[in-house]
Amino acid sequence: MLVPIYGFLAGDTLGLLVLVHDHETVRELAERLQQAAAPRVAARPQVHVYFEGRQLALDLTVGRAGLTALDRIEVRPVESADGR
Amino acid sequence: MLVLKRDQWLDLARKLDWEPSYVDEKQLFPEPASGKPWLPAAAWREWDEPYRTSYTEYVTNQQAKEAAVHTLRDAVGQPDDRKALDPCWLNAVKLHAATLPLAEFAAVVGNLRAARFGRDSAWRTTAALGALDELRHAQIPLLLMHGWVESDPQFDWTHKFFHTDQWVAIAARHFIDELLLASDPIELAIGTNFVFESGFTNLQFVGLASMAHRAGDRMFEKLLQSIQTDEARHAQIGRAVLEVVVRHDRSHAQYLIDKWFWRSWLFFAVVTGFAMDYLTPLAARTASFKEFVQEWILDQFQRALDDVGLERPWYWDQFLRALDTYHHMLCASAYTYRATVWFDSVLPGPAERAWLAAKYPESWPQFEPIWERISGRWREAGPGVEWHAHGLTPVGFCNLCQLVLCGGTPEHNTARTLVHAGRKYIFCSEPCAFIFKSEPQRYAAHRDVVARILAGQAPANLLELVTAYFGLDRQTWGKDVHGGRYAWLHPADHPEAAEPRS
Repeated sequence: MLVPIYGFLAGDTLGLLVLVHDHETVRELAERLQQAAAPRVAARPQVHVYFEGRQLALDLTVGRAGLTALDRIEVRPVESADGR
Repeated sequence: MLVLKRDQWLDLARKLDWEPSYVDEKQLFPEPASGKPWLPAAAWREWDEPYRTSYTEYVTNQQAKEAAVHTLRDAVGQPDDRKALDPCWLNAVKLHAATLPLAEFAAVVGNLRAARFGRDSAWRTTAALGALDELRHAQIPLLLMHGWVESDPQFDWTHKFFHTDQWVAIAARHFIDELLLASDPIELAIGTNFVFESGFTNLQFVGLASMAHRAGDRMFEKLLQSIQTDEARHAQIGRAVLEVVVRHDRSHAQYLIDKWFWRSWLFFAVVTGFAMDYLTPLAARTASFKEFVQEWILDQFQRALDDVGLERPWYWDQFLRALDTYHHMLCASAYTYRATVWFDSVLPGPAERAWLAAKYPESWPQFEPIWERISGRWREAGPGVEWHAHGLTPVGFCNLCQLVLCGGTPEHNTARTLVHAGRKYIFCSEPCAFIFKSEPQRYAAHRDVVARILAGQAPANLLELVTAYFGLDRQTWGKDVHGGRYAWLHPADHPEAAEPRS
């Protein structure tokens, strides 16, 4: 099932609507957000993903991570996340 | 013959309230139409405003102003005159031309409601003249821009904008419909006359007019100044109404200030913030958007609040922070989604960025890498390849202001979610969430662009969204104003432009 997620990439200027399948991983969701923001922010190889203040395991599927339609996630490069 | 002096007869024409005998006062002025708080006529009896204009004076003055605008149009408002203006500046004009004229027409409706349901006859008289003002403010730009449509179809959006489902138009309608079409006369007076007109329109009608002068656009300068003199008069309704409301329901007065200040701020951050700090050529900038806001809002509006005994809005610190960031967040976002709007955008070069860094020393370092990244995308693709420096993914919109989710800073976006009556909502900022939660019945049913996409009412594919839903086409959708052809961007072709201009 396709799940629309509001994604906020650290360093970017706006929130984007990313469509992801619930069987895809959180890592793939983060990659998709980084691709979508690429005109403004260069993609980073290592990121953390946060949902409601919790860091999500990147290998979890979107469904197992508890993400549902119109949830808000944050993606932060590892160095930025460490200093947040 | 005995001739009365003006002050001796004027109130015979302005103060015409009477005691109703066929219906009671609440039937004559029902609360849903006249506004909250409902007060007996005695509470409004001393209502007055300083201009105290008679109808004869109004007609005489307006006739002279109309003649001046028409003379200037004949002299410098012809299609050939447009060609002499800076192309970036013309896009500031297009932004104003689309977002303001039909909003002014909505203000005709609001003022006519006040001309019937305002609680004092002097208020109703001033509102009637205000309605005539607003009709003029709708008609002048429609007339002046019409001659330019043939050579530049983006100017057609002067009339078209409010009739489309383009995303800025949805946001503008959400704001304007509530403020001007749906508000009762009390909310209209406080939201429009006191906050929007007394507080904010000087940014556009005084600040941007000074830049129009320096940009050599005498027609637009005259248009703004001619409108401003009307605004200054009918805006006086606001304070006179607010003073009465503060005496009887201070918390409601404060809420209306808090609500409409934030909503007006967001509107002007788009309309004036873009125009002043990005679309106005560097040589024509008289001050930054922030400096104009500091002069007209931080100084004058705060004094006005003090005078009536109200507090600054509770989110004042957030507003001050947003002054350094919000329109920069929006501009970088809009530039990389420029095909979704009806005017062209400009890539700020080294000189413009140095100016922005000097004007916004605290916040600009966060935006510099973003513009450097966008510039790099242009370098990779070369001139004319718009889509490499353009987003393709749908963006999120605030469920209150309907603008893109650009609150906060690049490091910390302030967007927040809320579940209300089983539906998920997202807001760009705490004040937008506060307004929604204060009146959910007013806002909950509205569908933002994302909800329309998910409901199948609008396409998710960006190109289809732009053409089939926003109403733009290849001719009118926004592009880089120079097609990515900047000497500083390609120094190998232009070695003289490799160093930033000071």
